[in-house]
Amino acid sequence: MPRQITLQEWDQRYEQLRKAGPHQPDYNGPLGRHVEDGDTRLLKLRYDNSAAALRLWNFLLTEEERLHRSRAEGKKLVGTMKDLGTVPVMAYSLDNIAAFYPDGAWWIPCVMESNTVLLRIADRLGIDESFCPVRAMLGAFLTGGHFPIPDLLICSVGATCDDFSAIAQRLNGLGYAILWWEIPHRRRPEPDEVEVKLPGGFQAPRCQVEFVKSELQRLKTALEELAGQRLDEKKLSAGIKKANMVRTLLAELRKLVFTAKLSPLPALEMLIAEMLAIHFCSDQNETIIVLKDLLEEVKARIKAGIGFLSPDVARIFWVNPVADLQVMNLLEDCGGRICGTEYLFTHALDTIPQDLPPTEALAQMALADPMAGSSIDRAGRICTDIRTFGAEALVISRIPGASHCALEGQVIGEIVQDKLDIPVVELEVPPFTDSMRPTLRTRLEALVETVRVRREK
Amino acid sequence: MKTIIYTCPYVPAELIAAHGLHPSRLMPAALRSTGPLAQIEGLCPFVHSFINEVMTGPPQADTCGVVVTTVCDQMRRAFDILIRRCDLPAFLMNVPHTWQSVAAQKMYVDELKRLSRFLIQLGGEPFLNDTLARVMLDYDAARASILAAGSYLSARQCAESIAAFGRDGPGKVLRNQTNTKPLIAGVPLAIVGGPLVKQDLDIFDIVEQSGGQITLDATESGERGLCPPFDRRRIRDDPLIELASAYFNGIPDASRRPNSELYNWLKRQLIGRAVRGIIFRRYVWCDTWHAELWRLKEWTDLPVLDIDAGGDSETHQHRMPNRIRSFLEMLS
Amino acid sequence: MICAGIDAGSRTIKIVLIETDTRRVITKAVTDQGVEQDKLASQLFQRLLKSSGLGRQDVGRIAATGYGRNAISFADTTITEITCHAVGVRRLVPNAMTVIDIGGEDSKLIRLDKAGRVRDFAMNDRCAAGTGRFFEVIARRLGVNISSLGQLAAKSRRPAPISSMCVVFAETEIIGLLACGAAREDIIDLPIVFTGGVAMVSGMDTALRSALGQAVTVSPDPQMTGALGAAILAAKQITPY
Repeated sequence: MPRQITLQEWDQRYEQLRKAGPHQPDYNGPLGRHVEDGDTRLLKLRYDNSAAALRLWNFLLTEEERLHRSRAEGKKLVGTMKDLGTVPVMAYSLDNIAAFYPDGAWWIPCVMESNTVLLRIADRLGIDESFCPVRAMLGAFLTGGHFPIPDLLICSVGATCDDFSAIAQRLNGLGYAILWWEIPHRRRPEPDEVEVKLPGGFQAPRCQVEFVKSELQRLKTALEELAGQRLDEKKLSAGIKKANMVRTLLAELRKLVFTAKLSPLPALEMLIAEMLAIHFCSDQNETIIVLKDLLEEVKARIKAGIGFLSPDVARIFWVNPVADLQVMNLLEDCGGRICGTEYLFTHALDTIPQDLPPTEALAQMALADPMAGSSIDRAGRICTDIRTFGAEALVISRIPGASHCALEGQVIGEIVQDKLDIPVVELEVPPFTDSMRPTLRTRLEALVETVRVRREK
Repeated sequence: MKTIIYTCPYVPAELIAAHGLHPSRLMPAALRSTGPLAQIEGLCPFVHSFINEVMTGPPQADTCGVVVTTVCDQMRRAFDILIRRCDLPAFLMNVPHTWQSVAAQKMYVDELKRLSRFLIQLGGEPFLNDTLARVMLDYDAARASILAAGSYLSARQCAESIAAFGRDGPGKVLRNQTNTKPLIAGVPLAIVGGPLVKQDLDIFDIVEQSGGQITLDATESGERGLCPPFDRRRIRDDPLIELASAYFNGIPDASRRPNSELYNWLKRQLIGRAVRGIIFRRYVWCDTWHAELWRLKEWTDLPVLDIDAGGDSETHQHRMPNRIRSFLEMLS
Repeated sequence: MICAGIDAGSRTIKIVLIETDTRRVITKAVTDQGVEQDKLASQLFQRLLKSSGLGRQDVGRIAATGYGRNAISFADTTITEITCHAVGVRRLVPNAMTVIDIGGEDSKLIRLDKAGRVRDFAMNDRCAAGTGRFFEVIARRLGVNISSLGQLAAKSRRPAPISSMCVVFAETEIIGLLACGAAREDIIDLPIVFTGGVAMVSGMDTALRSALGQAVTVSPDPQMTGALGAAILAAKQITPY
């Protein structure tokens, strides 16, 4: 039966799986081995008890080893910062490049040592808690103790968030060369402009798509120089096709999980799975296998009519990723389940058009970034997805220090309430929510109670 | 004459004026925590005050539009609030953060053209090159006068002159200004940071009263936010391109990526003015400038005083004067 | 002739009288702050003079510091608490290089050069996070006396991780201030001297030591260093050596 288990229970479960199960990938193993030196964060989480979930977690937690192995094998490493999903597709179209997401280092304090050195290093650089948790990246670069220092750093700026941009600039100021590229603020076309319908439902004027194309050409040239090979249309098309395999799997997974009568997969594992879309955890092929595994598990559970939560839990749509993964468990403790998400990277989940020239397709995809446009547009997409997944309430999670969160939540919340008349709550979720747990719990429980009362009416 | 309000230095006032409209750079009176837009955790007090002033009715009675830019992400988000809750037509100008590529330069020019279309929709006249060129020369002359006036005006009056120039245009620059520079020069200081509000001009007085003198106003509201002199030959050839070039390439800022030009500019100015200390003025929740504080401290040997404004009166009445006083005690 | 230093802080008023020539401390006292702080300071000042057998005519110069310094009408001069604490601590700990002052409602970090002059400083003066006020609230919630917080902390086996930043004002408590800019080895100059009212609370120095990972010396008479510094600076205005 599906249920959530602790890290300690996983060690026992792992032994059962190992004896009974099929061949395991080399990165698999007891989850407990990732806990080092009194790391407490992993110990505080609850995990899905399936073999597929174990594989997912091991895949996530061994990314650094894979990156080091890639370096040792002679691959070039590209750090793609801020851009969530476009440049990695280009990078992975070259067979001797591995791309990863250095700002994903903000997860490191979340899953590892809570008194992490990384945040202290960021503090020493003047990038304190008033900045987004991505600041952990600075420590990761300076210590070199996590991911290998990439051969090329690419960072998008412009219609992005200021605190990330400031953190990246701080890194640049410390001597790390960055190839900056501009993502314009996506806007609706004016009457005399040619409209382009972007994947995901947004629109942009042709001139903006052309601009992004020109930026991607610059990046392409840099990648080619690094790889020592041409990144032609054939390779790019193949890369897009591969990326779409991941996206298609994820789309199916999301649809099944969010619409199933009984919740077949916890919110935490869904969050991790979605994150794979951004950078493939440094192994695109393995990402596909991991997602296929998860999909099989979910399908089996749905077919068997089993889930790990009761059928009457409140169906919650969640906006923005959380800095403290415990909150995903907390949602379920409070009687809710995830039925829809918008973690700031829908453009990494939507299928990249394959009937367009590849650079055009990628430019459209990059412009479809929900953060690149207005919060009003973002709210529109959220409303569409809420209807699709049948969510009954909305949680907007604020990332402390993130410049876009201060006002965006207000706009999104208002629009969703106006259009859909569902309850909305905003939560501030810092990297360590231990002391705030009662506050968060109260808000989530109140939301769930509101949903239940509305059902009765 | 209809007025267009704005606050960002990358909005060229000359372009607005060339359309027969009056450009008025809005400097909020003070950081206030009240208004139609509630103070929210994480919201920059300057953005909050600016939006509230626009929404409660800008100072100019004949205001017909407001221009904000993407230089600041919080202002970019605030635009969504403006268009939802304010009847005043609003325009969001996309100012590129990158600046070294031809594409970024072209984007800025295209945005000026788009701004021009917006101004025409509000009743402005399509601009003629000759008109734009003439306006640019007027503004250039006014800027030059203001900068030259630094030799006989107090630091506060210089700052007020720049603010008045932004608000009223070149016509009334330096009217009735007499020699107000203190006879005894205080410790020369620079003030560095983003935009100021009117109430912040008290900083200049507090510095003087404490034994200092601001000789370099490197805030966005000060001389750093003024575009450099135009190339007159290029004005004749294509005034719009020259306007774009001067504004886009000539105003260094922390938001640029990379923002090395800001430090190059600061280096020249700090040496040229023999500055002995830096007052770093930022807003709580302004990440762009906050991130530069420790970089600045690492970069310069000069002492740096951090003044973070949170929109509370306690800051203005006590904290800021106390810190400035301590700083000058340290320097003297 | 004597000089006086008055530290009108947020919670208490402290006064120190010193001999102008020798800088020797003659007497000192403290009283709680109140609404009429000028009157409170004046009364305390008069009491001190009387108990020392001195009169107003014996006072050469009075310097006031602290949050309420401008309200002390009978002061001849006002000096900020940064400068005064630096001077006061250096007087008591001659080789002090870093001063951490945690008072009733604010905290300061002061770095000194070899000559004892202020080289740099940082202040948390908007939010009471990590100050005496904060500890008072915590003590009350725990139902203990503030003086026993240190003992309680010493018994803790696993401190809970909490944010060190106030989300309203984005103020970081003093450890954060000290951490900022400490990328280079030599930033945290030793010895670190801990002063202010909170330094008198048992166990706080241990907590600070543990957080900083460095030796911390509690200043002698930590509550009076500001007033002492003010008095010395007042005396220097008469006899500059």
